[in-house]
Amino acid sequence: MSANMADNMQVNPIIGASVPRIEGPEKASGRAIYTDDITRPGMLHAALLGSHYAHARILSVDTSAARALPGVKAVLVGTDLPHNYIGMFIKDQLPLARDKVRYSGEPVAAVAAIDVQTARRALRLIEIEYEELEPVTDIEEALKPGATVIHEQRDEYPTMYELPREPNAICFTEFMEGDPSSAWDQCDVIVEDEYQVPAQYHMYMEPSSTVAEMDGNGKVTVWTSTQGVARSQMYTALAMGLPMSKVRVIAPRIGGGFGGKCEFTNQPITALLAQATGRPVKLTFSREDDMTMMKRRHGGRIYMKTGATKDGTLVARDCRIVLDGGAYADESPEVSPVAAFFSQGPYRIPNMRVEAWSVYTNLSRASAFRGFGNPQATFASESQLDDLAEQLGMDPVELRLANALEQDDKFFCGKTIEKATMKACLEKVRDASDWAGKRLHGTPARPGKKRGIGVAGMSHISGLAGAGANVLLNEDGSVTLNCGAVDIGQGSDTIFTQIVAAALALDMDQVNFAAPDTDSSPYQFQTSASRNTYVIGNAVKKAGDDVREQIYRHAGEILECNSADLELRQGGVVGVKGVPDAALPFAAIAGRALWQEGGPIMGTHNWLYTPQDRMDPKRMLLRGFALMPDAIGIFTFGAQVAEVEVDEVTGQVEVLEYWAAHDVGKAINKASVEGQIEGGIVQMLGYALTEEMLWDNGRMINPTMMDYKIPGMADAPYKIHSLLIEEAEESAPYGAKGVGEICAVGPAPAIANAIKNAVGARVNQIPATPERVLKAMQSADDAD
Amino acid sequence: MKYVEPTSLSEALEILAGDDEARCLAGGATLVAMLNADLVEPSTLIGLRRIDELAGITATGDQLRIGAMTTHAQIAVDGRLTGNAAVVRDAARQIAHPAIRNMGTIGGAICHADPNADFPGALVAANAVLVAAGQSGTRQIPADEFFLDYLETSLEEDEILSAVMLPVEPSGAGARHLKFSRTHGDYATVSISLVLVLDAGACSYARVAVGSVGPTPLHLTEVDEILTGSDLAGETIRQAGRKLMEAADPVDDVRGSAEYRRMIIPGLLQRAVDELREVG
Ligand SMILES: Cc1cc2nc3c(=O)[nH]c(=O)nc-3n(C[C@H](O)[C@H](O)[C@H](O)COP(=O)(O)OP(=O)(O)OC[C@H]3O[C@@H](n4cnc5c(N)ncnc54)[C@H](O)[C@@H]3O)c2cc1C
Repeated sequence: MSANMADNMQVNPIIGASVPRIEGPEKASGRAIYTDDITRPGMLHAALLGSHYAHARILSVDTSAARALPGVKAVLVGTDLPHNYIGMFIKDQLPLARDKVRYSGEPVAAVAAIDVQTARRALRLIEIEYEELEPVTDIEEALKPGATVIHEQRDEYPTMYELPREPNAICFTEFMEGDPSSAWDQCDVIVEDEYQVPAQYHMYMEPSSTVAEMDGNGKVTVWTSTQGVARSQMYTALAMGLPMSKVRVIAPRIGGGFGGKCEFTNQPITALLAQATGRPVKLTFSREDDMTMMKRRHGGRIYMKTGATKDGTLVARDCRIVLDGGAYADESPEVSPVAAFFSQGPYRIPNMRVEAWSVYTNLSRASAFRGFGNPQATFASESQLDDLAEQLGMDPVELRLANALEQDDKFFCGKTIEKATMKACLEKVRDASDWAGKRLHGTPARPGKKRGIGVAGMSHISGLAGAGANVLLNEDGSVTLNCGAVDIGQGSDTIFTQIVAAALALDMDQVNFAAPDTDSSPYQFQTSASRNTYVIGNAVKKAGDDVREQIYRHAGEILECNSADLELRQGGVVGVKGVPDAALPFAAIAGRALWQEGGPIMGTHNWLYTPQDRMDPKRMLLRGFALMPDAIGIFTFGAQVAEVEVDEVTGQVEVLEYWAAHDVGKAINKASVEGQIEGGIVQMLGYALTEEMLWDNGRMINPTMMDYKIPGMADAPYKIHSLLIEEAEESAPYGAKGVGEICAVGPAPAIANAIKNAVGARVNQIPATPERVLKAMQSADDAD
Repeated sequence: MKYVEPTSLSEALEILAGDDEARCLAGGATLVAMLNADLVEPSTLIGLRRIDELAGITATGDQLRIGAMTTHAQIAVDGRLTGNAAVVRDAARQIAHPAIRNMGTIGGAICHADPNADFPGALVAANAVLVAAGQSGTRQIPADEFFLDYLETSLEEDEILSAVMLPVEPSGAGARHLKFSRTHGDYATVSISLVLVLDAGACSYARVAVGSVGPTPLHLTEVDEILTGSDLAGETIRQAGRKLMEAADPVDDVRGSAEYRRMIIPGLLQRAVDELREVG
């Protein structure tokens, strides 16, 4: 038994408790400080001018009228800035466009003025002469020989991976396992289809916002709405040509991110304005600016073909994924490979080939978004499984159970499954939803509606990149935890506080969670990839354990006993097992350490997920992965069931009830886990039914909340049943692994499969708008 | 930009007449958003909220008078809006979300004349008369003639809409405003406003308007006549629905294509009739 498991046997009851959010009171009372609430002495306000055109050459810029406007302190255009390209895997963008604009909305000029109104007025005085170019808006067209080239100098950009030949391709990935070309002969049933998925906007409540200020020594301080202070620090430094030691980033409260505030948003340009003016500058986007200038989920097309034998054994799959990466690469070089990786789904498919592209287009930037390519691939895969089940005359859950990955199976490309809980998830969701009853007998629908039920299975990962944590013992025996992790609303501040409280048997208010600040926090990747609880939680727990060991060493010396004879008592007391009177408050130990022996107690730990087994390049063909998929973490599994009603007149779909079974390892905070699952489902209900960014010849036509519709409270199912499976993961803190993304992977196919069950029509394109559903119903009728 | 809050209608009309660039501010739900987006730049905003003559609902014999500054929320809960007038109440209840219903006014909604809004169709179905006040007196404009085009009404620049008059007649009427939208609280993709008098299953009075399918509410006398005197059998409603479908002139937009909007009119009309029958 590992040390970790031994700890788990006597876990403090705070682990698993639905303790309230530590920042709850300030949020509920409206006193939480977000970036836009911050004011600095002499602060200026900024606004950006977005390009009108989707693709154009900038011929000339005249900013004289804008500069002359009273109250304007700086006007910057691309040529005013250092020529420092930024980007995650390929450095292909500048904070302001220089020679060319590549999407409508791309920032071309920035103004800092005494107030926002003046800044906006100045924008209207900037004159730019463009030479319009053909916008490339279709991904297949973009890949064709002779297509208009979006980045002429693509091959000169610094990259971390091998670029494909096609000039508009961002990346190309190919995996192959078994012998997919000959395996089709063994199949009794083959289904083949094409699927289309939309560009989805992150719609975090708080639009991107940054305040930047440069001090007299040339060091910049940045307060920003970000998913990671170290990432913002790196890109700001890069854009300014400064070492990271000259940039400090602080995260106040964050109003949501969902992947959109990973890497960078508007930090670089705000810092450049602060540098240009010598004054603090605030830049907060309007919703429309955020929707047109910032990032989104990759839309795209997926071709998929799957074959099985009569008994329902999956044999082969062929898949081609083409994702619209937008004008700049951002995380694309990892998103389409992740989509390719998860195109297998949580099933054994011995013969499989997949290729995945991310393609430059003259649309806004596609980036990380909850699920990171997986929802796209899984929409195709899970839709196809239901069609296969239908042709085989099998129940969809049975087909999934028959092929679900099991213990010691290897995932696509040879990564071993650590804990095979796929079957458990399917069984749990099947039983809880009364699947058999509903599927066989149906439930009566309301007048004018048809009712149906659908399932989807899913897998994801948890564990990307490294983390560190410090736990400092204060003189009164309370502690301060500093790990640099940004809570973007999902609740990680509370989770980490619970972990430290458990490790040291402290009460929640004896643990101070230090706000992320690059001047003091341990280096940290960002809040993404379902990694906080698992990766950062590991560092946090072990830093807490480290403090406990040091407390035990002191206590052993004072009480003259062995560490093994010591125990923690709730509230910051160490005592001798079985001897109630032999006890010392942490304060006594902190005092001794400070004044007499050894110096202040600081616990510290750094942690990085290390794969058990590396991918086997002999076993499969694998190319074009910027990060090796074996290094991105442990597997997680889930299964979801949706019950819907479809309106016979309008085709509108209503999701009535939802069941979601997820293997979370261990729920450190049950209410938080349920919140994540419910939030993921409702967000992706929008993806499945209403959300779609639309462009007309490269101009976004719905960049407002009025035109782009996310679901509201009344559109959510009346009940979402979160069904937790808690099989402790050995490598995880208290057994807990991430759930933030996987819950968002299943809704689109579960809903599409429920629509099929309700009305007999397959919707291959999401969102399944009333119009698309009605048309699918009509063609299904025509086919009968 | 100046902001004034007159306390009488005549004072407000005087300010309006004296300043070409002045604009009335009712609930601000639409106007403030337009100001923020730099779509309008008035010289003066005339806040109407202190003018008593524009407030509240009063019953005057065979009519209900709804002051222009009455909010959607007030209309939605007023029990006096029964029978014919209930179509307006049913519309008010379905507009947007509570925050908008608490701020937005019937006068503001009508004067903005967004064809996707709920009141225009409901007022046409209710045979409402709109009262326009000017410095030289008031004009009574039937709802059918008030809405001229997309965001365009027959109100003159120096007039203020003071009230909406809803006839209590015909007696025994039932009403339904059926709103179909992408999400709860969105503007309608298509809406049907319907007033019927049913005598033992037969229809002795019908007035139907369809919203969001053209620049102004779609109302065809011909359709009212098809329904009136019929027993509202499925075939009759399909015939009425087809007429409306043919006359509809919707646009393609984010809420649906023109083709789709037209296609669902007959089915929605049938549903509105069914729902009205159900509640009696
Ligand atoms: C998020 C949102 C969702 C909405 N959803 C819906 C919906 O689902 N259905 C729907 O029907 N509507 C909807 N609306 C519109 C809403 O009903 C508004 O309240 C209404 O359109 C405007 O009313 P107001 O009182 O706020 O007018 P204001 O915004 O104050 O004014 C609107 C216009 O009318 C003029 N005006 C106002 N009063 C008078 C008057 N007495 N005489 C002359 N001119 C006048 C103003 O000058 C201005 O041009 C929505 C609005 C928002 C912001």
